[in-house]
Amino acid sequence: MKKVLISTLMIVLALLVLLPVLWTVSTSLKPLSEVNRCPPQWVSPTMSLKPYSDMFFYLPFSTYTLNSLIVASSSTILTLLFGSLAAFSFSRFTFAGKRIFLLIFLLSQMLPGASVIIPLFQLLQKVGLYDTYCGLILVHTAVLLPFVIWLLYGFFQTIPREIEDAALIDGCSRMTALRKVILPLALPGIGATALFSFLGSWNEFFFALILTSSDSTRTIPVGIGLFVGEYLDVWNQMAAAAILFSIPPLILFTLTRKTFIKGLVAGASK
Amino acid sequence: MKKATPYLLLVPALLFTVFILLYPLVQNLINSFSDVSMITGRSGWAGLRNYGHIFEDSLFWSSFRNTSVYAVVGTVLALVIGLGFALLLNLKLGKINTIMGCLYTIPWVISPVVAGFAWKWLLNDNFGVVNYWLAYLGVAKVGTTWLGNPGTALFCVMLARIWQFYPFAMVMFLAGLQSIPQEQYEAAAVDGATMIRRFFYITLPNLKTVSSVLLVLGVIWSFNDFNMVFVMTRGGPMNSSMVLPVLVREFSFVHFDLGKGSALSIVIFALLTTLSFLYLKTVSREETL
Repeated sequence: MKKVLISTLMIVLALLVLLPVLWTVSTSLKPLSEVNRCPPQWVSPTMSLKPYSDMFFYLPFSTYTLNSLIVASSSTILTLLFGSLAAFSFSRFTFAGKRIFLLIFLLSQMLPGASVIIPLFQLLQKVGLYDTYCGLILVHTAVLLPFVIWLLYGFFQTIPREIEDAALIDGCSRMTALRKVILPLALPGIGATALFSFLGSWNEFFFALILTSSDSTRTIPVGIGLFVGEYLDVWNQMAAAAILFSIPPLILFTLTRKTFIKGLVAGASK
Repeated sequence: MKKATPYLLLVPALLFTVFILLYPLVQNLINSFSDVSMITGRSGWAGLRNYGHIFEDSLFWSSFRNTSVYAVVGTVLALVIGLGFALLLNLKLGKINTIMGCLYTIPWVISPVVAGFAWKWLLNDNFGVVNYWLAYLGVAKVGTTWLGNPGTALFCVMLARIWQFYPFAMVMFLAGLQSIPQEQYEAAAVDGATMIRRFFYITLPNLKTVSSVLLVLGVIWSFNDFNMVFVMTRGGPMNSSMVLPVLVREFSFVHFDLGKGSALSIVIFALLTTLSFLYLKTVSREETL
């Protein structure tokens, strides 16, 4: 009896929590005449997938999607590459100034975006990287690196040194040991970190908004963020864009949820 | 050569951090004491004038108050809700727990921009579900503009922010709950402690570390949050929901007053650094225990 009661409560709470999402899904399937209707209808017989194709036709979302994919995957590759080198250094070597370097990364993670945006804007303009993929990729990489290093450091720490020592005794160099022994063992952790990086760049709004200015480089969140104010008459297409944009993060998160949460909890409790 | 290896491995990551995060910070500090314009660049020192302009501006003080309320009240409420959900998920009812755990984390995974859009649409004056239901209950009329009213705009944005942040608190609290030694509860049960007493004397004290970390992190992140306010209200109406990060953009890229924008961003930096040190202190104190 108690179990049924609690289960019911949980389901009601889930519906309440997901209300904004469900309402957006419902809106994304309705024609405009239904969207602008009072009282609002959750389900109607005229529902179709038409807003999803309309949004690619009327709004520049196919370009935005391509831009987002390019920026997010490039940033992920760069952060993983440089992040794993740094994390390897922190977890396997003892050297003078280690604490200071760790502190630099930890503090730069706390750096408010608003505190660096103006000079960054000027710098990118000066070197011709303003409103380019390259500029945005470099900035996203820098913003994500500190947290990625922190996550990877935690994952590398869980790999016993003995395994690596054995490889060294067998004649591997340090770098071969990293490549052939540590990386394969850390693969689940690296996967979760890659996911974090990808999502971080995919969802990032502030830098993408200010450091791009044309449709050919804007990412999806910028498109959505700007249109929310401007194209109020096409709520259904905006909703469709919002739903499509949220699907990759949801899938990726569901796939790696366990590893990611484990890493997060371990990192925060250490 | 061997000795240089750990440093060489750090070089690429450090270059990024220095060029894209530290150099702009220093440049910003210089700008904040200079006369700078978007078109001609820097044209000399201004002393403390930019800072003076900020502290004389009543908009700065109202935004500061808004940001603090948004960060502190929003985080505390998100922690309370997160704890509630974590306690519920900790009841161990089997498969339903896993499914609900997944569903409850969805708001966290969704992009802030999408979240802002969804809430804005949900709260829409004429066609949103919330107004319709409230009208049905007789609480408010259809056509109530929650986001267009200076008295409620900030509160609505905060609601959306809480919605996005509570799952993080929930996940961390759940991990904390699961690490509490079961013996403590058993001993309390033997002594005849009620459920409420067990919660206040065992559960809460054991969650002290994770709560303080979450509180400081949450306040830092929300203080820094630009997305939700920008998407939902852009700081309006009449600047009633203006927060400091949005104000930096307003000064610099709408009024083109880079000096004032830089000075404000340095003020934010100073405030957040203080909070960050508080965080580091909390973490390191817990470590030594």
